[in-house]
Amino acid sequence: MKPDLRILSKEELDVIFTSALYLLRNVGVNIEDEEIRTLLGNRGCDLGPNNIVYFPEWLVKDCLNSTPKEVTICGRNPKKDMTIGRQRYPYIIPHVLNVNYYDAVNQNYTTTTRENVENFVKICDFLDTIDGVWIVTMLPQFKEMYMFNDFEMGIRATTKPVCITTLETESVDPTYELATAIAGSKEELKKRPLMTICLCAVSPLSWTKQGCETLKAVARWGIQPALATEAPMGDTGPVTFAGDIAQKMAEYLSGDVILQSLNKGMAVLWVNVHESFDQRTGMVNLASRGDFVQACAMGQIEKHIGVPVLSPVSPDSHMLDMQEAYELGFTLLPQMLGGSRAIVVHGLDTTRAFNDELLLLLDDMVASARRLIDGIDVNTDTLATDIIKNVCSKIEKGRRVGHFLDQKHTLTWYEKEQRPRKDFVFEKHSREKWMELGAKTFVQRAHERVQEILHTHKPEPLPREIEAKILEIRKKYKIGE
Amino acid sequence: MSSSTIEAIKDAVTNYDEDLVKKLVTQAISEGVDPLKLLNNALTPAIREVGDRFGKCEIFLTELLLAANACMVGVEITKKKLLEQQRSANEPKGKIVLGTVQGDVHNIGKDILKVLLETSGYEVFDLGIDVPAEDFAKMAVSVKADFVGSSALLTTTRPEQKLIEEKLKQTGIRDKLHTIVGGGATDQEWAHEIGADYYAADAVEGVEIIKRVIEKHA
Repeated sequence: MKPDLRILSKEELDVIFTSALYLLRNVGVNIEDEEIRTLLGNRGCDLGPNNIVYFPEWLVKDCLNSTPKEVTICGRNPKKDMTIGRQRYPYIIPHVLNVNYYDAVNQNYTTTTRENVENFVKICDFLDTIDGVWIVTMLPQFKEMYMFNDFEMGIRATTKPVCITTLETESVDPTYELATAIAGSKEELKKRPLMTICLCAVSPLSWTKQGCETLKAVARWGIQPALATEAPMGDTGPVTFAGDIAQKMAEYLSGDVILQSLNKGMAVLWVNVHESFDQRTGMVNLASRGDFVQACAMGQIEKHIGVPVLSPVSPDSHMLDMQEAYELGFTLLPQMLGGSRAIVVHGLDTTRAFNDELLLLLDDMVASARRLIDGIDVNTDTLATDIIKNVCSKIEKGRRVGHFLDQKHTLTWYEKEQRPRKDFVFEKHSREKWMELGAKTFVQRAHERVQEILHTHKPEPLPREIEAKILEIRKKYKIGE
Repeated sequence: MSSSTIEAIKDAVTNYDEDLVKKLVTQAISEGVDPLKLLNNALTPAIREVGDRFGKCEIFLTELLLAANACMVGVEITKKKLLEQQRSANEPKGKIVLGTVQGDVHNIGKDILKVLLETSGYEVFDLGIDVPAEDFAKMAVSVKADFVGSSALLTTTRPEQKLIEEKLKQTGIRDKLHTIVGGGATDQEWAHEIGADYYAADAVEGVEIIKRVIEKHA
């Protein structure tokens, strides 16, 4: 049997969806872009005062029906492509976001450097449990064209899919050219989208001018959009789970209608962010009790609405400590067992920092959650009756003395059933042996392993023609190093 | 003996294939190959290689034990042949008396230690489980043991290890040998408290200690 964690019934999911349709039809969406308002008006929406657009139910359902049920995000290596909607385990995509790197050994925050990002992506390239990376930096040396620079940094350090986000429309063109060069042609890029751009609705129920510009740009270029909805419960969304989910669903559906109207049949990935607002501190939390509950619901929402959803795991802890492990585990596990198919993992400090050693903690948690997802197989081999009989037949002084350590059955099934780690980042020796090895903390052990990976792992280099293309694009768009 | 025979036997050991080891060693002996050469050039290097790989965490304990069992099949055949030829096998590197203390029936750690020691060239006298303290002493006297190792998994049975120390003293051989304690109920402090020479957290550590001490005193 395979575990399936459910927190909503089908009837409850139906009610939430109906409520989202109600919001779109009766409350409407504030859309700042006149061109898009006109387009929606022509498609049957009612246009009200104050830039409010009211979406008829039939149009929303029609657009949802034309939205592909799967999204493929490609890597340089086609074997590492992610097809969200088909896979056995949820895809895990760590996120490098914004300005801080957390130095776990010295327990301090430093301004992110290019080397921090490259090392982080390199470790992601190495770890089997990691399927891709998402990079959004504002590295001071780039000054502009951040998305292009992020993309280049990413593809240099990994052959896995690299997702990017932009706030600057002008960086779309050079990035698109680079992705086209890697794919081989514009047609190939359409078949194998190497580039994913995240854009965000503004809660409650609004699209800003800039958001609309990005919607138009991704539709025009055919770039894979990842449409984020963020409505912290009790802040820009209702404090109640059902209401918050319904509002975010309505926001996603409004973006989907716009994109389907601009480019019918376009896949639209929903980045469904769960956030709660802490009334004591005035801070948005991404890993509080409310977030754990929504994390659990992600998979069910995804299956119900029928579009691929990417949902985040974002601990609030400021250190690589017990709080970090608790928040990571309590968000990741319900999300994975609840059926999420793609998960973006932010490091710590409520998405504001990332850290290399944390990737090893994540690696083991994902491996354990995958093992849970696989459940317990019950068959003749796994019941092992014959093996038990054989072991029990060894008798000494009237007592059974057999064991399973010297059985070939143990060898055959140990890795399949137990999935042990190969390294000792997680300390499993005796206390004496641990002391003999230096009585190191988790962070110290993880740091040593990180250094080892960085020293030995060499990501596949970019082909020479792509290097030449990068120089050409930099010259053409006057992008400095 | 051809190098292909040596390699085939080594492969059979490292692939845990007891039947193939038996077949190849028997065949080699029937073809006139010196059993001592089989022991020294094929079986011992093979299990040493497996042990090294385990030491580097490249393989699991079960792989080591299965290889050791396969190796022992070959060792027994060669020893039997040497006996027939009225020749002795290699002088053992040391003699070790092992057992689980009286009142305790846990044998896994002790059995692993036994296999690892035997395949490393030590002669092991396994007293089994639920062994009275005086039996350890008697066997140690009888075989002129270099080491006496006892295992205790229960806090209720570990006082037996102290009794072993006393019995060894009473028989007058305590200062002629080394003692090592292990098992879930023991630790370094306990070894120190009862006067045991060494403590091993697990079988692999036990082998390392015994090897190191015997080599030092050789």
